[in-house]
Amino acid sequence: MKLEATRSGWAGGPAVAEVPAVAVLELSGAVLEWTVDDPDGAAAPRMTVTDVAAADWLWRVVGPEGHAALVSGAEPADVELRPDALAPLRRLAIGYWLRRWWPESSRDGIVRLDPALLDGELALLVNSAQEFFTEDTLDSDVEGLLAPHRAALSALERGGDPRVVDLMRACFDLADDSGVWADDLDSARTHAAVGRREDYALAAGRDGERSRGAIARGAASVDWLVVPPRTFDAGEQTVDWSVEAADASVFATVRVALVDGASAAGVAVRLQAGTVTATGVLDRTGTAALPLVNTDGDELTEIQAWDHGWSTTTVTVGPGRADTAEAAALRDRIRDFARTRLAQPGPDAFLAEIVAAESDY
Amino acid sequence: MTTAADVTTREVLVVPRRSVIDEAWRAIGPGVEVLSGTDGSPLRRTIKRILDPLVLRLRANPQFSAPVVPAETGAAMRALILDVAPQLRWAASWFAVLKLARRRLRITAGNAQELYFPVCFELAVTRGAPLPDDRETAETVLRGVHDDRDRTGVEVLNRYVDDAVVTQLRRQLEFSWRDVRPGDTIAGPFLSGLTTVLGDATSHNAEAARQRVWSALVADATPYNFGAKARTNVELPWSIVDVGLSSVAPQPPPPVLSAADGAPPLNRSVVDRVRATLRRALDRDELPDIPMLCAEEVDRACAPWGLLAEDKQAALVAGIEVAVDLAPLSADSATRYDLSGDIQARLRKEAYVLHARRYLVDGGPIHPRQRQVVDDLADFAKPYLRRLWARLHGRDVWQESCDDVDDLRSLLEGVARSVNLDHRQRIKSMLELQEYEVSP
Repeated sequence: MKLEATRSGWAGGPAVAEVPAVAVLELSGAVLEWTVDDPDGAAAPRMTVTDVAAADWLWRVVGPEGHAALVSGAEPADVELRPDALAPLRRLAIGYWLRRWWPESSRDGIVRLDPALLDGELALLVNSAQEFFTEDTLDSDVEGLLAPHRAALSALERGGDPRVVDLMRACFDLADDSGVWADDLDSARTHAAVGRREDYALAAGRDGERSRGAIARGAASVDWLVVPPRTFDAGEQTVDWSVEAADASVFATVRVALVDGASAAGVAVRLQAGTVTATGVLDRTGTAALPLVNTDGDELTEIQAWDHGWSTTTVTVGPGRADTAEAAALRDRIRDFARTRLAQPGPDAFLAEIVAAESDY
Repeated sequence: MTTAADVTTREVLVVPRRSVIDEAWRAIGPGVEVLSGTDGSPLRRTIKRILDPLVLRLRANPQFSAPVVPAETGAAMRALILDVAPQLRWAASWFAVLKLARRRLRITAGNAQELYFPVCFELAVTRGAPLPDDRETAETVLRGVHDDRDRTGVEVLNRYVDDAVVTQLRRQLEFSWRDVRPGDTIAGPFLSGLTTVLGDATSHNAEAARQRVWSALVADATPYNFGAKARTNVELPWSIVDVGLSSVAPQPPPPVLSAADGAPPLNRSVVDRVRATLRRALDRDELPDIPMLCAEEVDRACAPWGLLAEDKQAALVAGIEVAVDLAPLSADSATRYDLSGDIQARLRKEAYVLHARRYLVDGGPIHPRQRQVVDDLADFAKPYLRRLWARLHGRDVWQESCDDVDDLRSLLEGVARSVNLDHRQRIKSMLELQEYEVSP
């Protein structure tokens, strides 16, 4: 792989997919990136060495000569990558990706990955890759991965699945040795692993009950990039909106499907139909009732609402950004990737995925 | 990025420093498993807490800290490590003993490796291998480690600063403060010299020139004068309030004692500064006694920028120039120096990682809860300069120089990295907190 000197450091390797189809890993002094659903690219990440002195592990990946060449600053540096050194790093990157982008969706039948189980396994992997984290990075934080899960990890340990129990014991040893929970029993989060609620009712079912007087209604999709993870159902058309009149005022109702147990409180939502807009924030359940205003800032009257053309209505959840066909295609691709991982867990599968896949039968 | 196509280093056979350590470590053979990772290489903290400071002694042997070393330096490192192979094995045994004692005493606070590794090596050197059935030593050691380690010095300080001492320090402070007066040097040459110091050097000659310019700047009176003028109504190139060094302008004399915590560097009380020194002194050689430390700190607090040495004052001014260029969350911020350009490019790459991890969107919060931390990060100069000042203050106390231009540049880079990491961790935890706090 040829590396060239850029303003942010040595950079080289193939172009990688856009977020969210990219798995990144921040090592001491470098960032590695893989297209998440491209197994053939596993041995050739995009590599950016931002601090060659801090990246004192480089020789493990590019060999001692390659390392010396990068330090000497002669460019372009042509280095040979060592696949066996990269494999565990890619697995780490995938693990971090799973905890942020896994497209949990009861609509699309993509089951939840247990957050504590995933974070626990990831913490153990980070700990065993510590030679790549001489300087702390965003991804070296073992304590941060374990800290919120004390209660959930205990619950998993009691669950009795021998694979899980072994993993949990290792997590507890690691947590004890690194002082993650100290003696602070009170800080143990009450968030225990939530089983899949079989009777899960959609917050905004497509065929759900509607008020009869709707002036207009429609559906839209959530753009994953602008909303927090583990909050919204990752299916398409999960945003239902309607314009209704009641007591001489007109308002828009927006309902967004959430994942089990999540709260959408405080997340911005905006409806736009030509010159008419409605903005506000969702409540815990993913619902908002918003006043509709025209360009002058006046509230829409019922007559105006009936006359208005609603066919171009768009709804955005999160900080405004128009949803695009490309973004939608990327989401499709990610859901396919997730289904494939569940259907045929590969050697890089995390226990959380395997357990999730088994529970899905 | 800054590169130096250095022909001479390529002619000599060089090896990565870490590969040298790795290889030497493996040559020790069995007996050091608890200090090693699953693949047999030394743990990160084995290097950081034992090999670097206690075996290779990087402070005394800076040649061992280069990312790549010539073969003969590598051989010297290897010899040093293998020389203490028995001690390292004993240290490993001590660690196993301390870990058992930790379980027995139900201690879960602190990171065992971080805290015990240096102690284990010290025990190995002074006592050899642990004796079987000697529980007492281990438990005594652990109690020593876990008793609030900075308490002793700080307690002496607290007892020392009674009313009489405070009055006396206050009098000293009045005189010292009046002693500092700005001269009338022209700032132009200093600021244009910074362009070289904070610029790229692509050849040996350019590197040498950069060092010469920095040495000249350290001797320049401009940083002193800027610091002295910060106490008057004379205008500086930046506002000391905007960059977070002082809460008001002009800078008032610092108090000797104050109840408030977390004041900006230039407003921090003398006693708080001494306390910070004592806290940082854990692994250090002996400090002067408390009365001496307090008297010296009064003079330091009154010196321009709260720093006595000229090289620290110059380094802070260079740091201010870099700081006002940095904006981790902004895609289109222009930088005026090559070095701040490099740092900014790295900060951007680190911001991209946040985006790729769904912690931020378009430089803004992805959840309203992150608003405050995101705003803090947008205002990067303040935390950057507070941390830089603290580092320079430490160096000023320990009389460690900032004369070396490469050292200065890596200090300016390192501070950016660690401040940014802190902020990104906060952005991350604000979001994850929200995710986990939701009750099922």
